[in-house]
Amino acid sequence: MSELIAIFFSMALVNNMVLVKFLGLCPFFGVSKKTSSAFSMGIAVMLVMLVASAVTWPLFHLLLVPYGFEFMRTVIFILVIASLVQIIEMSIKRTNMTLYNALGIYLPLITTNCAVLGITFINIDQNYGFAASIAAALGAGVGFTLVLLIMSGIRERLDLADTPKVFKGAPIAFLIAGLLGLAFLAFGGMVG
Amino acid sequence: MSTTILAVILLSSVGLIAGIAIFVANRILPKEDASLQKANEIKERLPGADCGACGKPGCFAYAQAVAKDVEILDDSPCRILASDEDATQALGEYLGIDLSNAGPGSKAVVHCTGDSPRIGSYSGVQSCAAAVQVGAGEKECPYACVGYGDCATVCPVNAISIDGEKNIAVVDWETCIGCGMCVAACPRGLIELIPVETPQYLGCNYQAAKDIAGRKKCSVGCIHCRICVRSSENGEVEWDDKKDLPQFSETLATNAIEKCPRKIIIKTSAHPSDNDPENPPKD
Repeated sequence: MSELIAIFFSMALVNNMVLVKFLGLCPFFGVSKKTSSAFSMGIAVMLVMLVASAVTWPLFHLLLVPYGFEFMRTVIFILVIASLVQIIEMSIKRTNMTLYNALGIYLPLITTNCAVLGITFINIDQNYGFAASIAAALGAGVGFTLVLLIMSGIRERLDLADTPKVFKGAPIAFLIAGLLGLAFLAFGGMVG
Repeated sequence: MSTTILAVILLSSVGLIAGIAIFVANRILPKEDASLQKANEIKERLPGADCGACGKPGCFAYAQAVAKDVEILDDSPCRILASDEDATQALGEYLGIDLSNAGPGSKAVVHCTGDSPRIGSYSGVQSCAAAVQVGAGEKECPYACVGYGDCATVCPVNAISIDGEKNIAVVDWETCIGCGMCVAACPRGLIELIPVETPQYLGCNYQAAKDIAGRKKCSVGCIHCRICVRSSENGEVEWDDKKDLPQFSETLATNAIEKCPRKIIIKTSAHPSDNDPENPPKD
């Protein structure tokens, strides 16, 4: 159990998807202007990461490894994750309209986001078991949401601040991202 | 068999299985809820500004409420819809009820025409709410528009612009949908929603009771001379003793508008014929 918790925190903070592994940078800059949309995006990514990990792990270990098709994992994973997200979106739309409105466009947007694909590959490269994969996916999702929320909070306040004209908008966002990355480096070596 | 062919077969079969899974999911899952579908269709007939003036968090929530109970259209009307006759009629036709007596909409007006001298320089957070907390803004008049455009930011239709010269907010009467977002945003409480048929409003909010110093604060401030009250023969203008500002009735006070020494009784654009010399008013 303690190992799972260690993996969770390692993926959320030490090996943060966005700031340490540099995956999922497009939503990090694209959807971090408003806290509300950043939160929706984070939840959607977390959900898809969990489902993708839960499905690709058995697929890889029970189908691809026994028959020696490890080299096909990228294309197979993309295919499986994309169709899975389609089904999830459909079922949310039909059963819970409020949740569907909250997640909105973000669910189909991240079908094959690099952070989602990344977590499935990390699970395999690190030789995680099934439970460890789920813990890692949950940690990565929480870490992603956390960073998106921090970034959107800073950017909302920056909008009001008297920023020099040359730095307004994207340039200052890149600077902030760099500083945030430095801050997250401080977590290095904390958990295994 | 060579690995290549096996790989192709594997990929195609995974794709086929995924396709079948989506097909099956489409069949098994329940169809979209009928009331939700109705709410969606009502939402398409709403303005879609998500302004929240009706008290519901966004147009979809309002549509859901309407789908459940039509009465809500009377209890907490959509102000934007009310100002658009065609849209009101379209919604009425869809719901099968008569909405023609929903009443006209409202428009926002700013009770400040600017021109108060600046007595300071403010370089903090560029928002009215922040500026009024630091030394009450840059302008001398404590009732003046601060001009950082909090109202323009929240306006869903961009009807409010900031006059760069006088540094005041100006509402475009035609574009304004009367949602009331700006009323809540103004820290000075200068913006008011008035019914569209209101003929005039006062372009000043200087209330300091009996304080003639208003004259000094600004060249277009109300000086409380009450000439508007005296010049209105039929009582179009009355004096509000509490605010120490004139109060207008629903008839056009032509005399008062002309006599006002500060020219701050502003005709609304609801009476374009009065402003147009080629089409003088009939009566």
